[in-house]
Amino acid sequence: MSSIQRRLTAALAALCCVLWFGGGVAAYLTMRHGLIREFDNAHVTDINSLSNMTEQNQAGLKFDSTGEYMPAFRREERPDYFQLWETDGTVLYRSSALEGDLPQRAGTLAVPKFWDVTLPDGEKGRAVGVRFVPNEDDEILRPPGAPPLTKEVILVAAFHGQELDQRLHYIGMVLLLGGLGMAAAAIVAVGFIVRRGLRPLSTVADRAAAIDASSLQLRFPTENLPAELLPIATRLNDLLARLESSFARERRFSADVAHELRTPIAELRALAEVALKWPEDRQATQHALQDALAIALQMETVATGLMALARCEGNLLTVRPERVAIPALIQDVLTPLTARASDKQLDITLDLPKEACWYTDAAALRSIVANLLTNAIDYSPAASPIRVRLCKNGAGEELSIINQNVYLAPEDLPHLFERFWRKDPARSSQLNSGLGLALAKAYAQSLGMKLQAGLNHAEIVFTLSGATACNDANG
Amino acid sequence: MHLLLIEDSIRLQNSVGRGLRKAGYTVDVTGDGEEGLWLAQSNRYDVIILDLMLPGIDGLTLLRRLRAKHNGTHVLILTAKDTLEDRVAGLQTGGDDYLIKPFAFEELLARVQALCRRSYQRKNPKIEIGDLEIDTAARLVRRKGKPIDLTAREFMLLEYLALRRGHVVSRTEIEAHIYSDSTEVMSNVVDSAVCLLRKKITLPGTAPTIQTRRGMGYILESARK
Repeated sequence: MSSIQRRLTAALAALCCVLWFGGGVAAYLTMRHGLIREFDNAHVTDINSLSNMTEQNQAGLKFDSTGEYMPAFRREERPDYFQLWETDGTVLYRSSALEGDLPQRAGTLAVPKFWDVTLPDGEKGRAVGVRFVPNEDDEILRPPGAPPLTKEVILVAAFHGQELDQRLHYIGMVLLLGGLGMAAAAIVAVGFIVRRGLRPLSTVADRAAAIDASSLQLRFPTENLPAELLPIATRLNDLLARLESSFARERRFSADVAHELRTPIAELRALAEVALKWPEDRQATQHALQDALAIALQMETVATGLMALARCEGNLLTVRPERVAIPALIQDVLTPLTARASDKQLDITLDLPKEACWYTDAAALRSIVANLLTNAIDYSPAASPIRVRLCKNGAGEELSIINQNVYLAPEDLPHLFERFWRKDPARSSQLNSGLGLALAKAYAQSLGMKLQAGLNHAEIVFTLSGATACNDANG
Repeated sequence: MHLLLIEDSIRLQNSVGRGLRKAGYTVDVTGDGEEGLWLAQSNRYDVIILDLMLPGIDGLTLLRRLRAKHNGTHVLILTAKDTLEDRVAGLQTGGDDYLIKPFAFEELLARVQALCRRSYQRKNPKIEIGDLEIDTAARLVRRKGKPIDLTAREFMLLEYLALRRGHVVSRTEIEAHIYSDSTEVMSNVVDSAVCLLRKKITLPGTAPTIQTRRGMGYILESARK
């Protein structure tokens, strides 16, 4: 399995090794260059001395080999070598230990030519070559009027470089072994640093592994979290909060469905079993049958509501838009409810422009309005007002149904449109199925409208907005 | 046997209450948690049948408060809540049995009977007192192997006396366990019922098994020849 820690450790360790190796090579080459330069410079003096021993006069060139020239060229063990040529290739002089010829290359005395060379004894060394005009012999005077002597010679000297090689070898070994040691240390150090650096990630991963459907209340810690992980943890916490809320809603829905379906089934079963066990009580059997019919009708309402919701949520609701006169529709919905409203002495006020007209599906809109008005009548306290108002809101119109609220608290509002949600945890009321508002909202969404609820002091306000006015539809 | 049914569904109150009464039990019914708690604390019931989702206070809170007051009445939880967590919570809070809706009425009856037996420390549904056999499960009574036909209330009276065999049972206790609060109890109804029951279970050649202890009540014990 791919691991960020392993990949980072490997990449960083490899990078450290490459950098260390590159640095080592660069350091070695720099030191080698410096040492060779130092070696060469040390032998420039020897070349200058040898060039001073070369003189010329009218008779020709001569090398003063009589003097005690540098002992390095005369020692028996591992001697250095030099050779002097005239420019035509005639060998003027060889050091005593040199039997063959040295390779011939030359710079000037100011800028001598240096190169690696294999010495006559087979060892490696450094050679230096110069071409120069020897000094005139002081003891033989040039005749008056004669031109200066300008005959050139080539001098090549070769020196043993064993000491230089040893130093370079030593430096190379130090750099190599040091490099290997540092590489090993780098791998360990990088592993530790990466592990330490990724610890917050591990913490987040451990917490994520501990979260399942039964522990959605857990959250990712955000304190002391690196800035790179903070947005991730924050977003995950938001997601968890939404998941927790969804799971709670699902659990509540399942429990509500269980109650809504199990209770009437239990009622039916108990009614039937008791009636069958004691059939002689005709009056009780008659009551049982009436109860069974009421239960069947109640279950039919629930089933119809659930099917309508499923149609809306599956976008299967056929919307047939037409011109709908809002005052007429509301009056139409209110007529069968008038008796219920009168029983509770409710004062229903309509604040609707006569010409108010929406281009929408009349049947779906009627269902929404009927549900809202029925709820307003059923849940309003006796002798309280109910207002139905249509007004402009920005570019559109919104229909509001406002009544006195004695049941709902602000924390109930988010659940108001959930299927089967009821304020009463006992769910005793048989006033409704708990599907009306969910269905009204689903219808509103199918019509491209928005149904919202809000509390305004002691009033609850249901607002239906987003409808297309007939004028806009014509345009 | 005196039962308390705390159930907010009116239809279940009616059908279950009627069935239990037909089976011979005395049943008090309420649909409200607060009232249910008050009734449970004010009366001595043999079994309480308790719904969990109730108006007023919920069933688990009611049960918790009842147990906190050291009320040991057997409680059968009757609810639509069917998850493992719900069942465990119900039993751990102090429920003695748990039945999920929808349920078979016969099963409810059998569980209520079992809890009633447990109220009197009996496990065997058959009670034998001399040659009198009482099958509390099948609701049958035999004397010397011969079946005796009793009404539900007579059977309940006999069962109650049998469960407390050897002990004097006062008229007040009989009224409380056999007659519901809703029934007008006449001053001599217990005496009449006992008298009628005694006649039915006393066969020719057998001694009466229900003895009257004047000023105290009644006792059911083996017939003494």
